Amino acid sequence: MKVDRKVIRVDSLSRVEGEGGIVLEIRDGTATQVKVTIFEAPRFFEGFLRGRSHAEVPDFTARICGICPVAYQMSSVHAMEKIFGVRVDPSVRDLRRLLYCAEWIESHALHIYLLNGPDFYGLESAWASKDYLPILTRGLGFKKLGNGLLALLGGRSVHPVSVCVGGLTQVPRKKELRAFLPEVEKAYEASLKEIAWAAALPFPEPDLDTAWVSLVHDEEYPMNEGLMGCSKGNPMPMEDFLSAVQEYQVGHSTALHAGVRGDSGLEPYLVGPISRLNLNHDKLPMEIQGAMKSSSIAVPIRNTRMAIAARTVELAYALYEAARLIRRYEEPEKTCAPYEPTAGEAVWVTEAPRGSLLHRYRVDEAGYVDSCTILPPTSQNLAHMEKDLRLFVERFADKPSDWIRKEAEKIVRCYDPCISCAVHVIRVS
Amino acid sequence: MKRPRIGVFKFTSCDGCQLSLLNLEDDLLGLVDLFDVAYFREATDKPLKGKFDLALVEGSVSTERQRDEIVDVRDRSRILIALGACAVSGGLQALRNWASLSSYTHLVYPSPLDVRALSTSTPISDHVYVDFELWGCPISTSALAETLTAFLLGRRPAIRGYSLCMECKRRGIPCILVSRGEPCLGPVTRTGCEALCPSFGRPCYGCFGPKEDANVESLMRHFQNMGLTAKECLALLDKMNSYTYRKAHLESRS
Repeated sequence: MKVDRKVIRVDSLSRVEGEGGIVLEIRDGTATQVKVTIFEAPRFFEGFLRGRSHAEVPDFTARICGICPVAYQMSSVHAMEKIFGVRVDPSVRDLRRLLYCAEWIESHALHIYLLNGPDFYGLESAWASKDYLPILTRGLGFKKLGNGLLALLGGRSVHPVSVCVGGLTQVPRKKELRAFLPEVEKAYEASLKEIAWAAALPFPEPDLDTAWVSLVHDEEYPMNEGLMGCSKGNPMPMEDFLSAVQEYQVGHSTALHAGVRGDSGLEPYLVGPISRLNLNHDKLPMEIQGAMKSSSIAVPIRNTRMAIAARTVELAYALYEAARLIRRYEEPEKTCAPYEPTAGEAVWVTEAPRGSLLHRYRVDEAGYVDSCTILPPTSQNLAHMEKDLRLFVERFADKPSDWIRKEAEKIVRCYDPCISCAVHVIRVS
Repeated sequence: MKRPRIGVFKFTSCDGCQLSLLNLEDDLLGLVDLFDVAYFREATDKPLKGKFDLALVEGSVSTERQRDEIVDVRDRSRILIALGACAVSGGLQALRNWASLSSYTHLVYPSPLDVRALSTSTPISDHVYVDFELWGCPISTSALAETLTAFLLGRRPAIRGYSLCMECKRRGIPCILVSRGEPCLGPVTRTGCEALCPSFGRPCYGCFGPKEDANVESLMRHFQNMGLTAKECLALLDKMNSYTYRKAHLESRS
């Protein structure tokens, strides 16, 4: 009997950050090969971080990703501050959260409107059709506002310069920051309508039962602090997370894969906006919860394709939170808390736009790096992407190859993969 | 008039410089009107096809495959512009040029044999002819806009190449090196960031690379007189533009 076999390849994914592809092989309706191939060139950050001063680390790790440099700076400085026992000024804590809001705004707007949005309109890019222009223009408005806030707080949107161990090298004047408020408030109002727009996009099935992983926090929607939450277990301290997951190397990827240890061995898990929203939706302001309800966004979200809706909810939240933080801002007395380096080791996780970003450092008594581990969101999601693709392929195995190829690309794009980050997964030696 | 075909190519990098194109928010719609954006994987699905009037190249060359790819990009392109520290200077990843690769790979990957990387990370100009280099980690969006405008008008981009110190003086920022005694790379570094770090109360760490004829040796001697060790001095140079600062350092010694 003739075996029905087809191989579907995406040589180079578009509208994602970095270089990767997809290989699918289907035999008689069964997915015999499902690979997200990653051929981005590795940069070996761990190699050159060793022996460098802790003070240089935030500038170095920022360079892992041009789209979410703040996330890398935040996980680094928090880990260092934990080792040295530094407590930052409450106003500085607020400003760092504001910086993170700005990055969520800029990064989410990029993905929603320029990278992912065109998929729902059958377009090859955000500027491919006149009909999409009003949507793109809205997105560029949010993006510009996020970048403007980043520039005020950090000097520039790509690789900002103000974040340092102990606090910030400089803070804005109250008047300067206040000047942003009307625009942020207006953007927040507008973003509530975006939730309805995103929720009404056509989301193909299927739903997926999976493990959602994100920081969780008692009082706020998590960014810089909290416990590691997983839908399949109890929240745990950040430092326990490294033993709850395992990274492993696969031949088709320069990024390591990761799985969470479960009853039946290693299980793929999901980080990012869907997981954050599923585990923390009750921390959102009532107005945003109301907008979700009236747009029929029900939590938990089980469909990966709805990531764009989750991202839009978070865009609204980041704007809401930015306005709140600006309103209550008072200039701190000290922008940077003094500290003495000591030897030690710490793990810290913050919520990058694409999901939980873990850093672990061990430093010597002079504060120089002995070793480190960096676990970026995209590499944590790789195994999950493959699980998602497998489910999809087996369900629609009899569809034409071209259709499967296009849809497979869309599935991967929903994760907002940042492949430049992913290959910098760094391993404990 | 036929719109010029522009291609955006990525080598080893963080994506930040090509993101600067999308960060031209107010001008983005004008840009896609004036140019035929024929290849830009981060933003469009268009496959690699045909010749380009202008190639913007981000990233350094650090794998076997990239050595062939950059030659192909050059063959397809009338003008090639290197964007950012990785493309003009090898980037942060060029720090491995001064170490053995195997000492790095085993720290990152359980089976280093699977990882095909060159032992060096080098600027685009080490491999093919580059028409113009735009410095910075990241490049500035205004310099990028000026470069694209200059291309359309058929002139050379007006990008300043003098030192960061000039910018600080012009903006009236107190000198970090003199008044605070902190090691600032401003005297040997190309302007382009509008003296960002000094304006944020910290010394310049060299995002824009060495200015022309930078006397790196003299500055290093000054740092040593301030009490820095030779290792600490070298660490200041060994960042995103390590490859070009080290070169400028050697040149200023002779």
